[in-house]
Amino acid sequence: MDAQRLLDLYRDMCLIRSFEFGLEREFKKGNVPGMLHTGVGQEATQAAIAAHLRRSDAFFPDHRCHGLMVLAGTPGEKIMAELFGKATGVCSGKGGSLHSADPSVGNFGNNAVEGSMMATVLGVALGFQMQGRDDLGAVIVGDGTAGRGEWHESLNLAATWKLPVLYCCVNNGYAISTPVGASHATADLYEFALAYNMPAVQVDGNDVIAADEATARAVAAIRSGNGPYFVEYKTWRWQGIFSGEFRPVEEQRYWKAERDPIKLARGRIEAEGLATAAELEAIQAGVDETVERWIAFALESPGPDPAKATADVYVGWEVAS
Amino acid sequence: MKRMSTVQALNDALDVAMAADERVFLLGEDIGRMGGDFGVTRGLWQKYGERRVRDTPLSEAAIIGAAVGAAMVGMRPVAEIMFADFLATCFDQVVNNAAKIHYMFDGQFKAPLVIRSAAGGGFGGGPHHSQSVEGWFMNVPGLVIVAPSTPYDAKGLLIASIEDENPVLFLEHKALYRLRGEVAEGRYTVPLRSAHVARQGQDVTVVANTRMTHEALAAAEALAQEGISVEVIDLRTLRPWDEDTVLDSVAKTGRAVVANEAPKIGGLAADVSAVISEQAFPWLKAPVRRVCGLDTPIPFSLPLEKIILPDRADIIAAIRHTLQPYDEP
Repeated sequence: MDAQRLLDLYRDMCLIRSFEFGLEREFKKGNVPGMLHTGVGQEATQAAIAAHLRRSDAFFPDHRCHGLMVLAGTPGEKIMAELFGKATGVCSGKGGSLHSADPSVGNFGNNAVEGSMMATVLGVALGFQMQGRDDLGAVIVGDGTAGRGEWHESLNLAATWKLPVLYCCVNNGYAISTPVGASHATADLYEFALAYNMPAVQVDGNDVIAADEATARAVAAIRSGNGPYFVEYKTWRWQGIFSGEFRPVEEQRYWKAERDPIKLARGRIEAEGLATAAELEAIQAGVDETVERWIAFALESPGPDPAKATADVYVGWEVAS
Repeated sequence: MKRMSTVQALNDALDVAMAADERVFLLGEDIGRMGGDFGVTRGLWQKYGERRVRDTPLSEAAIIGAAVGAAMVGMRPVAEIMFADFLATCFDQVVNNAAKIHYMFDGQFKAPLVIRSAAGGGFGGGPHHSQSVEGWFMNVPGLVIVAPSTPYDAKGLLIASIEDENPVLFLEHKALYRLRGEVAEGRYTVPLRSAHVARQGQDVTVVANTRMTHEALAAAEALAQEGISVEVIDLRTLRPWDEDTVLDSVAKTGRAVVANEAPKIGGLAADVSAVISEQAFPWLKAPVRRVCGLDTPIPFSLPLEKIILPDRADIIAAIRHTLQPYDEP
């Protein structure tokens, strides 16, 4: 990997973390309504996926993908404002964290019934295939979705129809509180995909170089017309659950101290002399300043337009207000 | 005009839509080589090929999810769920996905798809092949529910549904599949959200859909012998339904009976009667009466099924009831 690419991914990861930390701070202040799920700890996975998607592709982000949505090209302030429920949000405040979509960059929106997008991505990929395009449909799902029927229906049909689907399975070890291995026949979810006759790999989702290379291989295979490809990114989320932290102290220490994707990348950059400490600090300061600007924009933005409450229920038909 | 069955009319509609628009394609179980469980897609696989007429596994959620996704990228999918009872297995995809795409993403995406499904009882199909499921979906904003009663409407409504920009659940009553009638050739549409006055009358309005429309027409014919004049309205679109046509009729007759094959509680008939009571109260000469299925699952054996499902005799009894002076019950 060349130096600039690694530095770009490093910056992307810093941006994701800064976005999520800023969001958490505002959430605690009561400025962000609803529920909050953050991607802290999973930055390498998200940066690697974002780096290989084109605007003409379609991707379905999961509920921890705020940063990925920004990396895909949507102006950060429009994502931030959406999470604040403001008129200037990317969905005018109607979607929020769990339903932010932006077709102009190929963001097809999350479905908060986790795993349901496994079925939707089939149609996107089928449409692209029928239209003769070499674009792909990517779906980003957590390990907890592997128990859904749609998860398995999707893998089966994508393999049968050789659909251009990139399955990005972000295995952070837990479905809310339940360990993957305690509720599935295997804790290594790519093994399920192998059974459906498609290429499937497991990669260290906290090693941005490994994640980037695995994603590159998968995307290249899909674009050459070979059908779906499944990548399992092994990672760990820093955020606990609503009621607090439940994971063993040593596990928390290990993942935060020794497996932090940003720290790992920084170690690599410094060891290879790709940037000075001052340059890395400047990257951090840059993204922090950008995120604060987006937060200020969201805070200052007007609340949602009341007319939006009853708008766009049907195409062409009004609903009584 | 050409005389054909509802199945042939639906087949003709799909053929017309596929010939006119390359984006239209079909997916479902056994719809290809076999032509569908009831023959609605017969010959289309042979004519348009496996690319546009796609046999699927028994994965109803994947079928509807795939239809939604394809619609989001500009295709015009027509999915078949073999029996409407099976819609329970893909309820999430219909309710949380297809019906909400346009709204929750602020109008940035559309989901112009059609879900065809065989509904209704009366043929010994048993508990899982006989249900009228419109009530399950009445509470879902964003969804359109269409249900034809005649071969002519079946073709015109299906073409209109495929051309519409909204997700449409298209319910085909199995008892009407073999019903024959005059059907125009080529492309024509019957407008959505527009009810049809199937018979004009002065004394009482019967609001019905699919098989119950025909039961209501038979009831009206029988009562005409006694000098009772019954107006029959076929809703055709069940959600959002055509309030204006119904209210205009009730304002004229002052009496209303709502006939629907599904269980009475929480269903289409409940909504129609509530709207009539709210909006047409000043004109009502008697309480609105509902003629519905009993509040049970549907049993297999025909004599038992007949007890559960409403028919023309029930409609006649309800009409007579509304004609009795209200203060002398």
